[in-house]
Amino acid sequence: MILFKDVGFEYEPGQPVLQNINLELEPGQVVGLMGENGAGKTTLVKHINGLLKPTTGAVYVNNIDTRDTSTAQLAKTVGFVFQNADHQLFADTLQTEVAFGLRNLGFSKEEVDNRVAQYLELFELTRYGGQSPFLLSGGERKRLALASVFCVEPKVLILDEPTQAQDALQKDKLLNFIDSFRDPEHILLLVTHDVEFAIRAVDRLIILSNGQLIADGSPHQILSTPLLLDRARLLPPQLTQFAHLMAKQFPQFPTNVTTLDETVEAVNQLLRGRR
Amino acid sequence: MAAIFEAFRFKQKATFMHSLDPRTTFFMAVSFSIIGMLFLQIIPLLLVFISMAPFILLARSTRQWFKSLQGLAILAGFILIINSFFISFSFAISTVLRLVVLMTAFSLFFLTVHPDDFALALIKMHIPYEFAFAFSMAVRYVPTIATETETIRDAQMSRGLELERGNILQKVRNYIPILIPIIVSSIRRALQVAESLESRAFGSTAKRTSLYDLSLRKRDYAMLLVTTFALIFALYVAFVVRIQFPFLLPDWFFWGLPF
Repeated sequence: MILFKDVGFEYEPGQPVLQNINLELEPGQVVGLMGENGAGKTTLVKHINGLLKPTTGAVYVNNIDTRDTSTAQLAKTVGFVFQNADHQLFADTLQTEVAFGLRNLGFSKEEVDNRVAQYLELFELTRYGGQSPFLLSGGERKRLALASVFCVEPKVLILDEPTQAQDALQKDKLLNFIDSFRDPEHILLLVTHDVEFAIRAVDRLIILSNGQLIADGSPHQILSTPLLLDRARLLPPQLTQFAHLMAKQFPQFPTNVTTLDETVEAVNQLLRGRR
Repeated sequence: MAAIFEAFRFKQKATFMHSLDPRTTFFMAVSFSIIGMLFLQIIPLLLVFISMAPFILLARSTRQWFKSLQGLAILAGFILIINSFFISFSFAISTVLRLVVLMTAFSLFFLTVHPDDFALALIKMHIPYEFAFAFSMAVRYVPTIATETETIRDAQMSRGLELERGNILQKVRNYIPILIPIIVSSIRRALQVAESLESRAFGSTAKRTSLYDLSLRKRDYAMLLVTTFALIFALYVAFVVRIQFPFLLPDWFFWGLPF
């Protein structure tokens, strides 16, 4: 469990980046974190693996105060995939790249080899195994970065903008992976601007704006509240936009739809009513 | 590690030092560096350092400058240990002082001169535009690379990298997962920048004109004059007095610790 208690943070004295953050993340949740550029999203998630320590308040990961531990120690529990894959790839082969985290955390050689093979396969990178990571395409590098963090099998996983530079097929695969993480043991935190992806992936959505939490609830509820979206500089999902257009013509059309199923249902209702 | 870059991160401020022509500041930085290189005694180097302090204060950049000194601490520590071991503690101290003087001279320059103005100054000094541009680009990217270094360090620490683990050799090796991404992403960026420059017709005209022009003002002439005097005086002391009439120099000039 992750607990933020009255967390405030500032890089420069007198310029708070985060204020009064109170947040509880329970295992079994896929949580989305959204907000405008510079809202403090990355700053917030960096507190979870101890890269940043709160200026005021405290952050607890499985009841351990992050101020009392190091990022390396937390790395076993908290996996963090950064936005730009090029910021973490360095090894001469894909295999050593994936093995890096495992070796740092003291896994046995046998276990390292097993997991490297397993996770290269999972991310469809096996055929490049002995190549240099720098010869991969942008999307493949991103997948390698994911593989090299996932292979540690952390209980908490943070993904910063995972859908960037991924085509629809890869997004679908990522979605499958996220679904496989949705179990009573894991917490997955997704930082994203991709509304359409968020609505499909997350169970709970948190909106951060100007360093403060302004909303926390179901994605359905939040993404169909124009006022909130406006503050976080997000466009509503296309289907919600569609619903608003429909509602102008047919006032009985519900505007709080976010998914395809809901929209189909609403359209059916409308047609039935008019028949 | 990235703290050392703080010294070279330009910040716009309305101060006397910022208002000087970049050529003036450049001349000051080079002169102070030369003066620093002339002497290897503790007291003269301290004097050079003290005479530079007012300019750092005038530039209202003390905090940034001090941060960069902290970044230099590890290197200074090495110099101190190795030199004390092989030569003497006195020599070690003066070497560190010289390093601080050089660092201060150039951080004064980079903290108060906007990279674009610097390119302009180079062109005024008849350096070909391509070179001036390349140089100002290099300076311009220092803070970017510094920020990137921090991100890369964070990313690798999140994968369980411990920089402080192991003996000295191991500690150096710990930096490989940070250095390689910096180099690779710098090369990638360089290629991107080159392509983007070419797509915006870089180098299509032989003679470029610029929107802003530099001009030396009274305060520039004043600073140039003072610096020239200081430089001549230092050269005179170092090459004439010290070599031909060393007995004219006061005892404190050569003062050093006995070990």
